[in-house]
Amino acid sequence: MRRSIVLLLPLIAAACGGGGTNTNRRTLVDSRDNYDPRSLDPALSTDVPTGRAVGYLFDGLTRFTPDARVVPALATSWDVSAGGSVYTFHLRRGVTFTDGTPFVARQVARSWQRVLDPKVRGGRGWPLYPILGAKEFADGKGTTIPGIATPNDSTVVVTLKEPFAIFPKLLAMPVASIAPDNTPANFGERPVGTGPWKLAEWKHDDYLLFVPNKAYWGGAPKADSLKARIISEPSTAVAEFQSGNVDVLQIPQGEIRAWELDAERKKLLASTPALELVYVAINTTRGPLADVRVRQAINHSLDRRTIVRNLIAGRGELASGVIPSQLPGSDKTRIGYAFDTLRAKQLLREAGYPNGIDVELWTSTTPIFVRIAETVQGYLALSGIRAKIVQRESAAAREAARKGQTDLFVKDWYADYPDAENFLYPLLHSANKGVGGNVSYFQNAQFDSLVTASRREQDETKRVALYRQADELAFREAPMVFLYFYNELYAIQPWVKGFVPPVIFNGQPWLGVSVSHAGRSTP
Amino acid sequence: MTAFILRRLLLSIPTLFGVLVVAFLLLYVAPGDPVQAMVGERADEETIARLRQELRLDDPLPVQFGHYIAGIAKGDLGRSYITNRPIKKDILERFPKTLQLAGAAMLLATICGVTLGVFSARNPGGFVDRFGLGVAYLGISFPVYWVGLLLILLFAVTLHWLPPSGFGGVRYLVLPAIALGMRSIAFLARMTRSAMLDALGADYVRTARAKGLTERLVVGRHALRNALIPIITVLGLDFGAYLTGSILTETIFSWPGLGRYVVNAIARRDLPAIQGSVLFLSAVFVLVNLITDVAYAKADPRVTYA
Repeated sequence: MRRSIVLLLPLIAAACGGGGTNTNRRTLVDSRDNYDPRSLDPALSTDVPTGRAVGYLFDGLTRFTPDARVVPALATSWDVSAGGSVYTFHLRRGVTFTDGTPFVARQVARSWQRVLDPKVRGGRGWPLYPILGAKEFADGKGTTIPGIATPNDSTVVVTLKEPFAIFPKLLAMPVASIAPDNTPANFGERPVGTGPWKLAEWKHDDYLLFVPNKAYWGGAPKADSLKARIISEPSTAVAEFQSGNVDVLQIPQGEIRAWELDAERKKLLASTPALELVYVAINTTRGPLADVRVRQAINHSLDRRTIVRNLIAGRGELASGVIPSQLPGSDKTRIGYAFDTLRAKQLLREAGYPNGIDVELWTSTTPIFVRIAETVQGYLALSGIRAKIVQRESAAAREAARKGQTDLFVKDWYADYPDAENFLYPLLHSANKGVGGNVSYFQNAQFDSLVTASRREQDETKRVALYRQADELAFREAPMVFLYFYNELYAIQPWVKGFVPPVIFNGQPWLGVSVSHAGRSTP
Repeated sequence: MTAFILRRLLLSIPTLFGVLVVAFLLLYVAPGDPVQAMVGERADEETIARLRQELRLDDPLPVQFGHYIAGIAKGDLGRSYITNRPIKKDILERFPKTLQLAGAAMLLATICGVTLGVFSARNPGGFVDRFGLGVAYLGISFPVYWVGLLLILLFAVTLHWLPPSGFGGVRYLVLPAIALGMRSIAFLARMTRSAMLDALGADYVRTARAKGLTERLVVGRHALRNALIPIITVLGLDFGAYLTGSILTETIFSWPGLGRYVVNAIARRDLPAIQGSVLFLSAVFVLVNLITDVAYAKADPRVTYA
């Protein structure tokens, strides 16, 4: 027995001797992915880690900048027909895929067809549904997509079902990226794109390693390589950052204050709006909640300022509508529902509920949502609204809300593309009740017509005015508790140059980002 | 012995079949639809219906079960609904990593736990015994989650001796193995101690001492050998449990093993991945139990399987 311990000692010493940090790496290391991507096939990009990686490997016709502008990518420009339903995209010439095949218009048509093909099992065709015949093709009612034409190798003509002025923004989503002609069965593991990076290695649940595409049309990335580590536990990501092993960290919401109070760590912080609305969906079809006064009473019951200060260390902007203040259409002068318990009680009385109401308040097990639910429950009690918290694992909670089985449901919504439409339409248009995103089951003819008109409107000023009107209406109808828009907090290592935290999750391709060894010190 | 092993292996077939049936049915009554999980936050009813059809989720249950069994019989666990990858490949890629972590934790537990137990028993009430009792208390009562984070904070963030997380060489294995093995160290130490106390008081130990054997031989060859049965039981049970995925440890240390795979599969309602993993892990468990039984016979000639 004693001998075996003696034998083990040198092993332990050797194991400990190496040190935890790798001080001379020239690889950029990201820590943001908390689960393994679904696939690296653009047609399968329905989640954040997948979309982010697809964004490194592929290009769409357009792309997002870190500050959420939409700029040309594989299309250099586009013309819109007078009526607004025909888009002619002029494609970038001389672009090749990393396997050497040239990029041509045909591949655009084919890639989008793959996304819509049920056999590919992607499940996210909606960004392409505005195209004439796309939905029918996806539903198996058509064998071709009449809305996509490729008159020559460098032109794609897209005919939409009806005018949709922000269509080019949707094309910057990962799912609309362009794949080459040849997509074998293991394409999701061995992707070939035109993007700034190439896949070097994918160790599932461990990391993805990317190397620069030297021939990238936009100029090759500066760094030697980019490693996206898959770290499920936020505290572990923090420890990796503190050990200097990862370069970029999203600060977990529970740790914000600790970082802001530490003078040294505070220097590394960078903040960005996340275009994330955190809200409590109110199912407008269930019992007393069908009465707008009850919904307004719920809004008046909460002290949102205190919630934001105490639960997320003040890193949220109070919401008074569904449009984030960074997007045109938000009305910064609108004053949100005030914390006014008396007013809430009065509204309940007027609605015929002098003794208050009973509701179920649903939440997933996500820590921040559980904390919000508990806080909301406490505030509602002050107004005589007795909320019973129902906590379910997130897939089950979401499904219940989609089926209309929840009274109140704490959730969030991230923008897929930077436009007010991405909040108004999915969250509150009656066409999207249930699985479409409208779990408030909100149905309001005036709201619907405003949003529908805004989608068709070609003139930006008029469109924004329509957004504002729709948002105002939603605010008054209160189909949700408008809580806050979250401002994401990042920590960036001092030796990383050029990283700007992206507003949209796939808006940072790390092109100009580099590791600078000059002046590097141990963290 | 060969006959015994064969019989046990044959008997494991109905066991595994039972597991299969239960895993299959349970997932169909549990809330959460794989297609809903697949399509993400924004979808439409037609897409969901088409995908259900594509994945054959609308077939009657017996038909679906038939398909599944037919696949299993051919050694095919199917493809993941979510990733489209073959499940067998996914499992075989991750299992060696789980095995490595479980093996390291067990090695650590055996060496530390048994040593602590033996020395505790040699001088009950002495310093080592009391130290062992302390370790056992802590090991059993500290949640692995907490221990894991503390280890990372101390050895990785503060001392920079070891990497905080990830998969790689031995350096990456040390902290998760300690976190995972803590509980086993504690159990083994107490188990070994009491078994050794029994053995050390037995007549054959007195005989051995009377023969003039060195204390080392008395303890090592006579007492410990006889105390092995309960130790093997604990080892077998814990090893089986670790092999079936140490979810918390793998999560904290970003260890790419089967535990995280299963958790992800459950979160995404990836039915074939869950079913395949459950089946595979049950088979592993059955096998570990069998090995434990064989080890009993090896350790103690009085145990026979006629």
